Amino acid sequence: MENGGPLFRMEGISKRYGGVRALENAGLSVRAGAIHAVLGENGAGKSTLIKIMAGVVAADEGQMTLDAQPVKFASPAAANAAGIACVFQELSLIPELSVADNIVISNPPTRFGMIDRKAQRRIAEEALARAGAADIHPLALVKDLPLSRKQIVEIAKALARKPRILILDEATSALTAADVSKVFAVLKRLRAEGLALVYISHRMNEIAELADDCTVFRNGSKVASYAAGTRSDAEVIEMMIGREYHSVYPPKPGRLAQIAPVLETRNLSWADRLHDISFSLRSGEIVGLGGLDGQGQRDLLLALFGVLRGLRGTVLVDGSPISIGSPAQARRHGIGMALIPEDRKTEGLMQPMTVRDNLSLASLDRLTRGGIIDRAKEESAINQMMTLLAIKAGNIDAPVGALSGGNQQKVVIAKWLMRQPRIILLNDPTRGIDVGTKQEIYLLLRRLADEGAAILFYSTDYAELIGCCDRVLVLYDGTVKRELAGAEITERALIASALNIPSAEPTQREPAQ
Amino acid sequence: MTRATERKQGFMRSLDPAVLTAFGCIVLLLVLGSFYSRSFLSPEYLLQQLKVASFLGIIATGMMLVVLLGQIDLSVPWTVATGAMMACAAAAYGPLGTTLAIPFGILCGIGIGLFNGVGVAYLRIPSMIVTLATNAVAQGVMVVYTGGFSPQDSATAAMRYLATGALIPGIPNVVFIWALIGAAMVFLLRRTGFGRAVYGIGNRERAAYLSGINTRRIVMTAFAASGGLSAFGGVLLAGYASKAAQSMGDAYLLPAIAAVVLGGTSILGGRGSYLGTVAGVILITLLQSILSVTQMPEAGRQIIYGVVIILMLLLYGRAPASR
Repeated sequence: MENGGPLFRMEGISKRYGGVRALENAGLSVRAGAIHAVLGENGAGKSTLIKIMAGVVAADEGQMTLDAQPVKFASPAAANAAGIACVFQELSLIPELSVADNIVISNPPTRFGMIDRKAQRRIAEEALARAGAADIHPLALVKDLPLSRKQIVEIAKALARKPRILILDEATSALTAADVSKVFAVLKRLRAEGLALVYISHRMNEIAELADDCTVFRNGSKVASYAAGTRSDAEVIEMMIGREYHSVYPPKPGRLAQIAPVLETRNLSWADRLHDISFSLRSGEIVGLGGLDGQGQRDLLLALFGVLRGLRGTVLVDGSPISIGSPAQARRHGIGMALIPEDRKTEGLMQPMTVRDNLSLASLDRLTRGGIIDRAKEESAINQMMTLLAIKAGNIDAPVGALSGGNQQKVVIAKWLMRQPRIILLNDPTRGIDVGTKQEIYLLLRRLADEGAAILFYSTDYAELIGCCDRVLVLYDGTVKRELAGAEITERALIASALNIPSAEPTQREPAQ
Repeated sequence: MTRATERKQGFMRSLDPAVLTAFGCIVLLLVLGSFYSRSFLSPEYLLQQLKVASFLGIIATGMMLVVLLGQIDLSVPWTVATGAMMACAAAAYGPLGTTLAIPFGILCGIGIGLFNGVGVAYLRIPSMIVTLATNAVAQGVMVVYTGGFSPQDSATAAMRYLATGALIPGIPNVVFIWALIGAAMVFLLRRTGFGRAVYGIGNRERAAYLSGINTRRIVMTAFAASGGLSAFGGVLLAGYASKAAQSMGDAYLLPAIAAVVLGGTSILGGRGSYLGTVAGVILITLLQSILSVTQMPEAGRQIIYGVVIILMLLLYGRAPASR
């Protein structure tokens, strides 16, 4: 056994999706018997790196070595065969099959060409025991298990492949505290058995408890690798965010006049995801949505935009209650709402279509006369937007997918600004784009607000909320846990309320049960 | 991607490689045919082929609209038959019936298409299922109506004139009609908000919906248009043969889909040009024609027909898997 030397190494890895740079000359080196934490903001390239490691996507450039031998994985199966197993953050289980079926799904034990049910059950029991969940019955259907148990089955599934390297991508984000401590015990035992573990989490305390080595990524590149415990939390956060973040925000106007709100909600609820959300949004104001990822922020934006069915509670625009049944209604003249969706690739743009087609898609009703596109009008509206947002596109008749991520995001914003919306909802608009474009977007948002738009802005990046917003609503478990305004918006207050920890400052609401 | 390739793509947009391949295949078929018989290159033969192709072309136009949305319309066979039979049936009801025969046939097709569209857009039934079921229902209704025999009513003079006459000497009317429908389709796809929305929905329905496009209405309209065009094809076929027949539409389902796909329209939706569909229609028609003049038994022709379509589809460069 070569102790100390890296078991697996990645060097000079680059990956682009269309024109979007996901990884640039990134590297990672993991050793046996250690837990390696990978840190970074959303969109820093962690997930892409993991996918390359697990054979899900192929790198454009770069080498990987396993036991000092160069390797290339053409498929997840090839990575598995080499001893790399991955637990992804999206559950990959098939709900209609049993736990045992799922655990051995890629390589079921066979006898005479048929699945050997006894052997399958034995393997599943063994893997579940190894994952610290011997209490899960192997013949139970996955759909009947609660989410946290499913996640444990997912880990067992990875372990059943007898990996040498186990990757956990946000594997604990769905777990309850009791389950997390169980999983940690399992992970520590696996480390003692000599496995190499790669661990991705946004929870700093988990990393402090588990990790031996850490690597920080930012904007698709490796920033630093260090032994755990050698850097302070503040230093780590600085590495994740990058220094340049501090000065990129435009100045905020002081206190805003207490004018009547443009958009108001009262006790807005939806299914079991949103509970009694009440807030108001004024013209000229940028209000942030904070909190941990997945606490209902996206659902709230979709609810306001008329996408969700079965809403309870009231939405008021200009003081009168309205019901918005579809995005087509939300964008109408009297309401004038726009939603910049989260995922450019699937929700914001049609990648193979041209820049022109994408830009005018949300304004077709205004650019057509009798159903026929008014080309002159379209051209001038597009030119105006291209200038306003400084979109760098060589040719507006080229596919939008060929633009860089930042320019694509500008196109998504521009296609809605073409309608001069009064209420702008943004769902994490700066995810995975470069710092320069981020800054342009911050300036643009402030200018739109100054011109009278009301902006509701969800961001997973606390620095952005602090830098951009006049007020921040912190969501936890589908309800507004706290509202911070002005100087109250600090990283400490944001994190404390995001984790629903009572901090030194008083909380405004009691936790709703 | 570099600036140069971007520019190239802008320039090549109207010259899709798939369209070029389709036209290449047409030339190849004609050359192969001319080895068999000189008459394959004669203007009479080519014009005759264009005339035969027009019926398929009109039906494939509707199919293309639906395929661009990422859907499919399998109700073509009995929508064609329904259009033909209903137009002929209307002709039996005096002078008013004779006048309204053509619009009535088309309207029946639009009705079938609307039913498909509501099923796909509002009830969210996969188009493959709902259109197949509609096809069966239309078949049943027509069999009940005709008693299972070839209907006795014959086509009106207007239907016959449209299908077989020639307003401009030398150019059959039906070719002219196809050209008009084709021009309207090109205009619809390129210059109207509806066309943009069709491509948008075909590429990413979710993004189109979030852009405020009324996606359901557009999907429904496209299916209605497909039904109407299929029925119009049926009306013209009835005019061509002077009467409707039980399974007259059966020979048009696979050719219509094949023509659209061979013309470079993505079966997943969102990509394709009408020029490609024109090429696909001519290609399929020529292939059928050449196979029919060879002294081969029917079964052999069918096998070669299917195999050639598969081979041609393989010719098209597929985008590399996005990994």
